[in-house]
Amino acid sequence: MEILAYILISTGLIFFLGTTIGLLRFPDFYSRMHAASKGDTLSTVLILLGCICLVSTQGEMNWLLGLKILLIINFIFIGSPTATHAMMDAGNKAGAEPWKKDSQ
Amino acid sequence: MMPSLPIWQFDVLLLVLVVLFAVVALSIRNLMGAAVVFGAYSFMMCLIWAGMGAVDVAFTEAAVGAGVSTVFIVSTIYNTSATMRSRPGGMAFKLFIGVVVTLAGVFLLSALPDFPDWGDPNSPANATVAPYYIENSIRDTHVPNLVTSVLADYRGFDTLLETIVVFIACIAIYSILRIETAKSKTDEPEEDIATAPPSYDPSDSLIVRQASRFMVPFMQLFALYVIAHGHYSPGGGFQGGVILGASLILLAISFDLKFLLRQWREKPLMLLVASGVCLYATVGLACMFTGGNYLDYGSLDSVLPNDRAMARSHGILLVEIGVGITVMFSMLAIHINLASNGRFDRGL
Amino acid sequence: MLLVLVRAFKGPTVIDRLVAINVIGTKSIVLLLFAGILFGQLEMFVDIALGYGLLNYIVSIAASRYYQHRRCLEPTHTANGGQPSRWKS
Repeated sequence: MEILAYILISTGLIFFLGTTIGLLRFPDFYSRMHAASKGDTLSTVLILLGCICLVSTQGEMNWLLGLKILLIINFIFIGSPTATHAMMDAGNKAGAEPWKKDSQ
Repeated sequence: MMPSLPIWQFDVLLLVLVVLFAVVALSIRNLMGAAVVFGAYSFMMCLIWAGMGAVDVAFTEAAVGAGVSTVFIVSTIYNTSATMRSRPGGMAFKLFIGVVVTLAGVFLLSALPDFPDWGDPNSPANATVAPYYIENSIRDTHVPNLVTSVLADYRGFDTLLETIVVFIACIAIYSILRIETAKSKTDEPEEDIATAPPSYDPSDSLIVRQASRFMVPFMQLFALYVIAHGHYSPGGGFQGGVILGASLILLAISFDLKFLLRQWREKPLMLLVASGVCLYATVGLACMFTGGNYLDYGSLDSVLPNDRAMARSHGILLVEIGVGITVMFSMLAIHINLASNGRFDRGL
Repeated sequence: MLLVLVRAFKGPTVIDRLVAINVIGTKSIVLLLFAGILFGQLEMFVDIALGYGLLNYIVSIAASRYYQHRRCLEPTHTANGGQPSRWKS
């Protein structure tokens, strides 16, 4: 179980590294938001699943704690993409232009 | 117990992050960006306190500073649309300010060697009062969370006055901002809030509305859990009250403000803000009526069924509920006042 | 997290900064849980992480509502930005 926890956490960290690089290097804010939202949510879910596996290896399984971490995963899974959607909607209404390849 | 060895690297990293966040927040020209980064700076402070082990304080800082306070700042910017101007004044002025601030900082830091060591058992706080609380709290009040028992029982007067301070803040914002609609002339006709149709913009997003409708009941349930479970886990009245208020602010933000104003009118709202403080004070008076001092919950054991220590535990719970009620409706009233610029009809 | 902060500092539009702060918020929840694991008492820190996850969502929605109402990314140059002023009659 511990090995599974470490695999999950390190995969989550690799995804987070990808998110950060995408956030820095993409040319336009719409594409940056794409990278931020997907990579961020996925990496957080993986890391928190790894945390649940870690918790279950320390002594006996504490069900309440695992349930609470599952609740955190639930709220982040629903809330973070919705927040990104709201921000993209706001950017669209406020008139930010998407990047076109031939304008470079 | 808690290992203390890997912690100092964590603390140094967090301190560096806090300074970086503060510098970034101060150097962004756009006010909205600065406000949002300021919210993140608040959360870094919360992490520092969590790193020290002070989880109740960290919870309060996360709830208030990084959550609700940022929403208040955004509402204020929305209603005033302030911009940042570069400060006039040449190089000499900036140099003078730099020297003054540095001198003040050196003066403050020179008191640093006089502080007791970290966790020193002979420091004035730890040597005289703290051992009494640590040893006797469970025996006196049956409450394992020392912070809650010190806050609401041993130092109950302080918490009563803090609740009154929150109440005064709410009333101050109300009295500064609130204007009657007859005095301000706007072009649109008056409409009765109760019978107006729901007016959220159809181009607004359905996704945000539905997600918020999903999350609000869970937030409220979690907040009630935090208030009630404050005896055994970090939490208590203040944190739960802020999360309850934040859930209603979420409704106001994702739907329209009018949607919230149809449910919570002005007069019941302000009465409910006052009722939390009244509940706290009434518990104290009830203690006097049953024979003890003011806010001495032990004398409630003639009214409540169990022994003296359980009566103190129940007294703490009642008082936390009072604090939670006041804080919840204060947050809501402050948000409505700030977002609608005092008019109570439409806004952010 | 430092790299995301760079984007918060540089981002040419304001919404870049909002996105960066949203990412920082989510990662800070993970940091809180790591702090809990380091301390060995995860039960205390899970409550704070749950509370902050909910509040991070509220801040993002509030900031984006501001731009939905304003419909303009730059700060406006008039004194009251399109709303009827309450000090003029």
